[in-house]
Amino acid sequence: MTDFKVDRKTFLTTAAIASAGAAAGFPTILRSTASAKDVIKIGLDYEYTGVYAAYAQSETRGAMMAMDAWNARGGVMGGTRVTTVSEDNDNNPGIAVEKARKLVNVDKCAALMGSINSSVSLAVSGAANAMNILYIDSGGHADAVTGADCKYSTFRTCHSTWMETHATGFSLGKKFGKKWYLITPDYAFGHALDAGYRDVAKKIGATIVGDDLTPLGTTDFSPYLTKVLGAKPDLLLVLVQGDDFVNCLKQAHEFGLVGKIPIGGPQVELEAVWALPEAARVGFWGVEWYYKGANVLGTNNKLATNFVNEYRKKYHTPPTARSAFGYITMDRLLWGINQAKSTNAAKIAHALAGAKFQTIFEGTTYYRAADHQLMWPMWLGGIRAKGTPQDKYDVFDIVDRQEPDSIEQSIAEKAKVCKMVWP
Amino acid sequence: MKSIGIWGWVATAILFVLLLLAPQLAPRLHLALTICTDVLLFAIAAMAVNLLLGYTGVLPFGNAAFFGLGAYGAGLSIQNFHVGFITSLAIGTLAGVVGALLIGPFLLRRRGIYFALLMIAFGQVFYFIAYRFTNVTGGEDGMNFTRPALEGFGIHLQDAGFYYAILLIFTLVVAGFWLLVRSPFGRTLVAIKQNEVRARYLGLNTDRFIFVALLISAAIEGLAGACYGLSIMFAYPLLLDWHQSGDIVLMTILGGAGTIFGPLVGAIIYVIGEDILSTALPWWQIPLGALFVACVLGFPKGLLGTALDLLPGRKNRIEPGHDLDFAAPIIADRETTR
Amino acid sequence: MAHIAPEIFNGLILGAFYAVVAIGLSLIMNLTGTINMAHGSFMTLAGYLAFALIGAGTNYWYALAIAPLIAVVIGILMERTMIRPLYRRDPVYSLLLTFGISLIAEEAFRLIWGPNGVPFSPPKVLSGSISLGFTTFPVYRLFIAGALVVIIIALVIFLQHTRYGLRLRAAVQDREMISALGTNTQLLYMINFGLGILIAGIAGVLAAGMLSLNPQSGNSLLMPAFVTVIVGGMGSLYGAIVGGLLIGLAISLTTLYLPAASEISMYVIMAVVLLVRPRGLFGEEGIFG
Repeated sequence: MTDFKVDRKTFLTTAAIASAGAAAGFPTILRSTASAKDVIKIGLDYEYTGVYAAYAQSETRGAMMAMDAWNARGGVMGGTRVTTVSEDNDNNPGIAVEKARKLVNVDKCAALMGSINSSVSLAVSGAANAMNILYIDSGGHADAVTGADCKYSTFRTCHSTWMETHATGFSLGKKFGKKWYLITPDYAFGHALDAGYRDVAKKIGATIVGDDLTPLGTTDFSPYLTKVLGAKPDLLLVLVQGDDFVNCLKQAHEFGLVGKIPIGGPQVELEAVWALPEAARVGFWGVEWYYKGANVLGTNNKLATNFVNEYRKKYHTPPTARSAFGYITMDRLLWGINQAKSTNAAKIAHALAGAKFQTIFEGTTYYRAADHQLMWPMWLGGIRAKGTPQDKYDVFDIVDRQEPDSIEQSIAEKAKVCKMVWP
Repeated sequence: MKSIGIWGWVATAILFVLLLLAPQLAPRLHLALTICTDVLLFAIAAMAVNLLLGYTGVLPFGNAAFFGLGAYGAGLSIQNFHVGFITSLAIGTLAGVVGALLIGPFLLRRRGIYFALLMIAFGQVFYFIAYRFTNVTGGEDGMNFTRPALEGFGIHLQDAGFYYAILLIFTLVVAGFWLLVRSPFGRTLVAIKQNEVRARYLGLNTDRFIFVALLISAAIEGLAGACYGLSIMFAYPLLLDWHQSGDIVLMTILGGAGTIFGPLVGAIIYVIGEDILSTALPWWQIPLGALFVACVLGFPKGLLGTALDLLPGRKNRIEPGHDLDFAAPIIADRETTR
Repeated sequence: MAHIAPEIFNGLILGAFYAVVAIGLSLIMNLTGTINMAHGSFMTLAGYLAFALIGAGTNYWYALAIAPLIAVVIGILMERTMIRPLYRRDPVYSLLLTFGISLIAEEAFRLIWGPNGVPFSPPKVLSGSISLGFTTFPVYRLFIAGALVVIIIALVIFLQHTRYGLRLRAAVQDREMISALGTNTQLLYMINFGLGILIAGIAGVLAAGMLSLNPQSGNSLLMPAFVTVIVGGMGSLYGAIVGGLLIGLAISLTTLYLPAASEISMYVIMAVVLLVRPRGLFGEEGIFG
């Protein structure tokens, strides 16, 4: 290589490295350099893009309201303000773990909350535990989060899959009868739901006259629906979720099943119902929290009514169960930090475990010490396709309520799978 | 034999110094060290793709199957047999190779788009298996596992220790890759890429060469997957999905297929870029998609490839494996194969 | 046993869907070597456009006609600006480009219409079910079956019995020659791509009434369509039809007897076909290797 060409090469290589360095330095421009001593930061690791974006948004809104309430009262630990840092995990556990580590190591968050997607919850739970950071799973339902994969540093607010099946199983069995037909999605969540309902069936003496496993991403439910029509059960349990759920109900309507055979299932999100075509707005479903009704909110529950009214005023739609998860999670997380007077995960966990409190629904509740599951009731709601004349969003008619101790596994049963290791 | 010149070595040396200093540099740049670890292991994955795409001339759009197999292989062996760190990586690598052994014979019957489509389809089969066999793999919930200790030393590698382990693996893979593409085997691959029919006329069993290349690529990809599994201590089905394949292929092309360090450049841009973008913008998938489009339309040779092309004297030299435009226009392909 | 007849019928309808989507893909692939990973996105786009048109007050039939046409315009714009430069290059580029476009499209749908999907129902006259003797069957599905058959017949007529169709087939065989004979090949590519998107658009609007309409819904039909192309054979439209029906039937029947295997049944068929006849059932040797 002749001399002048050496300059070009070196220049280019150096330029490449320099620009890579500059690009890598970009984060400094985006991140605020507020000193960590003035505020306590809570990291939000949610699925802000993708299929669950609407739920992530609801949960975050609820969380922000709780945070604002605490800050209005002077913050935590004698006057320290609370802020949040949010990261999107795109429904991807690997990215979720990366973001969790970024939130803790780079943004210096004191604790983490998050997630709709169960695999994300599980992954972040493990990652947070490895960093000894407190993590509250606000919206991921897999039993393992408070079961086989339980951690001292992980708590869960929303109901577990077991609670969902048992709450609805008892209510639906009571209401419609004991001959059940199940349409089950053929993957982990579906199997868990299936096992849950079989357990309920055993307990109440119901018989399962049919149980079809539908493959992942089924677009066509007609073979199953024709079988259901033939089997004439008292109740059709639709366990499929998401797109499959919409397809199934749409086609159930097409095949004339609606009105002939009662339809029910473990749970449906309010946001999802609002997006359903009217023909598919049928059935009785588990409702984890609802913004109306004495059965849910109680009478004279100021906290609840304030929450609902403020949320509605701010966002123009009513709060959903997801909003409630976010609110309760943030509220209790901050309470725990305040109570423990520390951001040490073990201290917060000790403060939270078993501590009784009242919040935006009727009744007293607590995160169970054995598995860190929030023990609260669950309701059954029938869908009103058009809502009410006063409120088009009011699509649920809450008809029943089940208490937590009857719908979750006992402490003894949980102890068989959950072995919590404290530092 | 062409050499990369003294300044190429200098650049490489500077690069490795920077990589060695990453644990100190990263915090100053507000980057988590774990992101740097991820950059390295995705660079390894992209190198696997590079071997097939840049040097052999096949489109490995289902490569994530091997990546995912690697992660699950490592995870399952840790969960069920409590193996150590190095053993889990070895098992992950082996899982990738087994995957290639299973689907290779099908893939070899076709080339070009067919090869790509077939690989996507078979990749989806593995995805489906991971999703469906909940008892073994945890299904869509994924699989948690701990990072095992290093055999013989009994120490658990965390953060910086883990980073250096991955850096060591990366260095070994780069060195091996460099030797491979300069070996007679590597040169044969390039010959096949440039004109497979001619290679066949010369008596070479191109199927066998491509198959071996596929096995090596799957091994490297499996190793990368195992590293990733150990990094996040989790394995999940999306690792096998064709979107993951697309991401890794993009990294290869972004940096420059057919170059040694192209995959690393691509991995740096993609992994760090995605991290920054997803923090800054809620709709970051749009600039990501736009990056694909811009890269394909504007920088087909990738960043490093285009940069190297700007260096005087390079354009006219016949650089083995450097030119991605190996396929003559479709018409010519058709005519030669008829 | 009584279950089989409706199942076969369902399987044929599903298969016809796969076939139609595969034909669209195939048309685009055969002539220019472009692998259109954004094909599903165009289906979803047409569905959303139909939704928007109906929301603005038009009736379903108007939307069914217009939405695909708008999708075609957008598709042709994309073809002229982004895909045309790639015609002379390796197929991996078009694959990556259209993959990138599908990412942009999905996020754009999410931004415009929300992540949860939108409610889309077929018109009243097509809803409900009628008795067919051996079973009751949804009217809408019968309509879809009819529409798909019409599309396929129209395509066959176009390709076999019109001059443009003749030119398309000639161009697939020998592009240089037909260009030397004076045909404007660029125009031909454009029309070909537009045709592929038109088919995708119509299929998309039809599917929206039967399945949920959300940012990802187009992609659920994409993978089976690719498998159909592989099974049926790359250069062949009849292959796409036969392949699609075969796969639709396979999925439907395995669902009845072996539900766990229905997802994988199409891959099994693909593997078997490839072992026995590597170019696909009707594929032509030598096109794209």
